[in-house]
Amino acid sequence: MSRPNRSERGARLRRRSADVRRWLERRALALTTLVTAGVLAVMLYLPVGVVFGEAVIDDGAATLAFFRAVLTDPFYVGVLADVFAEPLAVKTHLESLVGWLGAISVAVSFESPLPGVSLPVPWLALEVPPIRKGLFGFTAYQAALSTIASVALGLPAAYVLANYEFRGRRTLRSLTILPFVLPGIMVAVGFYAMFGRAGTLNQGLALVGLGPIPFIEWNPLAIVIVAHAFYNAPLVARVTVAAWESVDARSVETARSLGASPRRAFRDVVVPQLLPAILTGALLTFIFTFMTFPIVLALGGLQLATVEVWIYDRVRRLAYSEAATLAVLETLLSLALTYTYLRYESAQSGLARAATAPSRTPLFPDRRTALSPRRLAIVGYGLVTLVVFVGPLASLVVGSVTDGSGFTLAHYAFLLERQLEGASYQTLPWVAIRNSLLFGVATLAVAVPMGVVVSVVTVRAGRGGTIVDTLAMLPLAVSGVVFGIGLLRGLVFGVSLPGGWQFRVTGGVAIVAAHAVAAYPFVTRNVSPLLSTLDPALVESARALGASRYRALRDVELPLVASGIVAGAAFAFAISIGEFSSTVLLASGSQTYTMPVAVERYLGRRSGPAVAMGTVLLVVTAASFVVVDRVGGRFER
Amino acid sequence: MPITGLKTTQCNHPVMRRRTFVGAVGGGAVAGVAGCLTRDSTSGGSDGDTLRIATYPSMVEEGDPAGVWLKEAFESAYPEAEISWTVPENGINTYIQRARQDTVDADVYFGLNIDELVRVDDSLDGQLFRSLERDRIEGVDRLRDDLTFGDPNGRVLPYDTGYISLVYDESVVAPPESLDALLGAEYEDTLITQNAQSSDPGLAFLLWTIAEYGADGYLEYWRALRDNGVQILDGWSESYFGSYTEEERPMIVSYSTDQVFHATGDEPDLTRHQIAFPNGQGYENPEGMAIFADSDKADLAADFMAFVLSSEAQAEIAQRNVQFPAVADDHVDLDESFSQYAHAPAEPVTFTYDDLRGTLNGWIEDWAREFASQ
Repeated sequence: MSRPNRSERGARLRRRSADVRRWLERRALALTTLVTAGVLAVMLYLPVGVVFGEAVIDDGAATLAFFRAVLTDPFYVGVLADVFAEPLAVKTHLESLVGWLGAISVAVSFESPLPGVSLPVPWLALEVPPIRKGLFGFTAYQAALSTIASVALGLPAAYVLANYEFRGRRTLRSLTILPFVLPGIMVAVGFYAMFGRAGTLNQGLALVGLGPIPFIEWNPLAIVIVAHAFYNAPLVARVTVAAWESVDARSVETARSLGASPRRAFRDVVVPQLLPAILTGALLTFIFTFMTFPIVLALGGLQLATVEVWIYDRVRRLAYSEAATLAVLETLLSLALTYTYLRYESAQSGLARAATAPSRTPLFPDRRTALSPRRLAIVGYGLVTLVVFVGPLASLVVGSVTDGSGFTLAHYAFLLERQLEGASYQTLPWVAIRNSLLFGVATLAVAVPMGVVVSVVTVRAGRGGTIVDTLAMLPLAVSGVVFGIGLLRGLVFGVSLPGGWQFRVTGGVAIVAAHAVAAYPFVTRNVSPLLSTLDPALVESARALGASRYRALRDVELPLVASGIVAGAAFAFAISIGEFSSTVLLASGSQTYTMPVAVERYLGRRSGPAVAMGTVLLVVTAASFVVVDRVGGRFER
Repeated sequence: MPITGLKTTQCNHPVMRRRTFVGAVGGGAVAGVAGCLTRDSTSGGSDGDTLRIATYPSMVEEGDPAGVWLKEAFESAYPEAEISWTVPENGINTYIQRARQDTVDADVYFGLNIDELVRVDDSLDGQLFRSLERDRIEGVDRLRDDLTFGDPNGRVLPYDTGYISLVYDESVVAPPESLDALLGAEYEDTLITQNAQSSDPGLAFLLWTIAEYGADGYLEYWRALRDNGVQILDGWSESYFGSYTEEERPMIVSYSTDQVFHATGDEPDLTRHQIAFPNGQGYENPEGMAIFADSDKADLAADFMAFVLSSEAQAEIAQRNVQFPAVADDHVDLDESFSQYAHAPAEPVTFTYDDLRGTLNGWIEDWAREFASQ
């Protein structure tokens, strides 16, 4: 083969590849959209459809009997059962409403709201006659309280992380969503280890002669709400930080130069740009806590049972019609809420033209500033986060190196020994770590393009876009147990096709696809609020200058919303690490387990090995988050 | 924006390995999903003399688990045979679902409770397990008389049994004499139990109260228990490792072998590991083994069952699995230290298959509704 010949071929090849690249570039958006739709159809709509169908089909005939049974049962829907039973008896329903309103009274009394401390404070007692909330009502009630708590705990964190500079800020930002990956059992054990009568907090209080205070039993609902905030406040914080870092600081400066006070500029310029992100965080929190399981029962007990507890019970006894009926109602409520929010989000007019976040001020520049009221408030908030977030995690880590009689490395020795000598049918720690990381990275790589494409396609696409966006949020709004059953029945066992054919999907690739389906809504929800606040003129001028839609997206829009993409990527990774049921259901062969699966398997009659594995999960995930954020950070400006 | 090309096709689903017709389908593969189109997936056995046994995680995952010993010992007694353990994600439900829609890919189920057998029959029209030829299984005559599953079809043999009792802190409460005593003021806000919808010990305790107070009276008892502050947490793990270990309460529904796990060192501190048998009773939860109807390894499976009932295996399983043997005392020797710390009630209480069939779900539902959403 002669030299010129080869170079000629090389040039042809290069030309060819340049053609292909141009072709791909022109169609990149359309192709990604198509692929996303394909993955969703197979991995989401098929399995969910298989189960949801059970709610309306009985013995091959369509029926609404299952819905009627649930909607007219006071156990499920409380006082609304009468309304559903006789929707036309308006007069009766209004009379009972008026009767209830008339029985409300307000009185002032003295109460001691702090457990164990007799400090009477005036208390405005609102006496509302008891109202039967039903399972759905109670579920929504605790979700609403959990949302308020999560936003209240998450916003200050976002404020501090976005506006102050201090050592370790970036690492801390990376680690905020760490609680997200913890298996429920670990959170429960961590909370008891922190807040139990013999827990870390009471041990600390005992040093100063206080306690023990029954934090957990004092008010079961309160501790469940704190546990929900433990999971979700980091989510609110992370979404909001991403938005805060994308705020167009120049618009703030413009407002200031036009004579607005800092407070006014914040209220009129910054807040409108943050609000979509904050509401996104609140929406996600509500949906998650609406479908909460099993933390309510683990900390609060059966009297705090939610709809998901009942769905789980139905699935366990293989009563799929009942499970599907409850799950459909749950999903409808979540999607209705999502739609309402997305209407609001899409109505936001874009202002931002550049992501020049406000410069961060040092947190503690000198001693005098450190004592200013604002800094003291931050310190106070820091203490709260130490107790609520760091406490349970740290107690878990301590639990992994202690047993009844003191310090021990026996639990880690167990993991090491299992790794070195374990049989093939046993769970080996390194295999679990390796699989988790592989699935996590692959999920990130699939979910980020999926999520961004859904954002791009739906933002500013009017009511139609909102509907598509709402339907695309289905993975968040479907009960996890039901999704698992759908995967099993729709994909693992397969769907019968004409001619005796079976369509089945399993294996490592299917696991990644399922993780990506669960994860991409987080990318979308992080990116969409930022995209919607961008000035549409930016893209229009790029297009007018001849850029393809893809070029405009890549070169103009994405760099401006990079912080949202990085946050979304971190969430995608976290979802993959934390995902449990789809991993075990779609596993083919015995070597496809991940870290949370290993935690579950090691949980026998001794807790040590499971807690040690949970700690390994924490450490590996924490390190990965830092890497994801550092790598992603290179794209942020 | 890169789409990572994950174009692998993985069809190593056990059923698919046989008679797979077509591999991947185009669109799905591009999307990173490996789909498989298969046809004619017939029920089939495993290779050679491999016995596929499904069980629960701790049978193979704990330190020195019974499963590892069983595999090694059985394989050296039957050099031709091999045991392949599998841990299905949803226990017996995995196989109920498979039987409904697919083929069962295991020969033996190891670790079946009576209530699970009831669920199997409630959910399936056909038989998931085959009736055993009891004469074919050596050692059946040595089984304890009281450990029958009461299965009219004789599909299950017990291999060990546990007892649900109360575990308490002797520095805080005295052992309750009876279930009635738990309603007294001295036991106010002391008891933790588990959700009977999903937890084995929780269900056992519920059934125990039904045995004591009857199907008509148990809810009344539980209302009184609620007024006295009983706490119903989720599963055994959370309630024991979380609540009880962190001393939230001094008493919990748990296994009567509790001390075995805590009797380490020369002078173990068992203050919080005292066992109480109210009324002198404990709820008996035998664990059983059964052969899947579709299995073509019924002979080997019967050999395995006989091996499990041998004296040596009975002692090893009991001690490693921390349960009591299923054969009568004459046929098994347990270590003294085990017998010292594993307590059995004077009067075991249990429901048989016939008692639970058709009634169990209703009992649990009525009970759960009594607590939830009130």
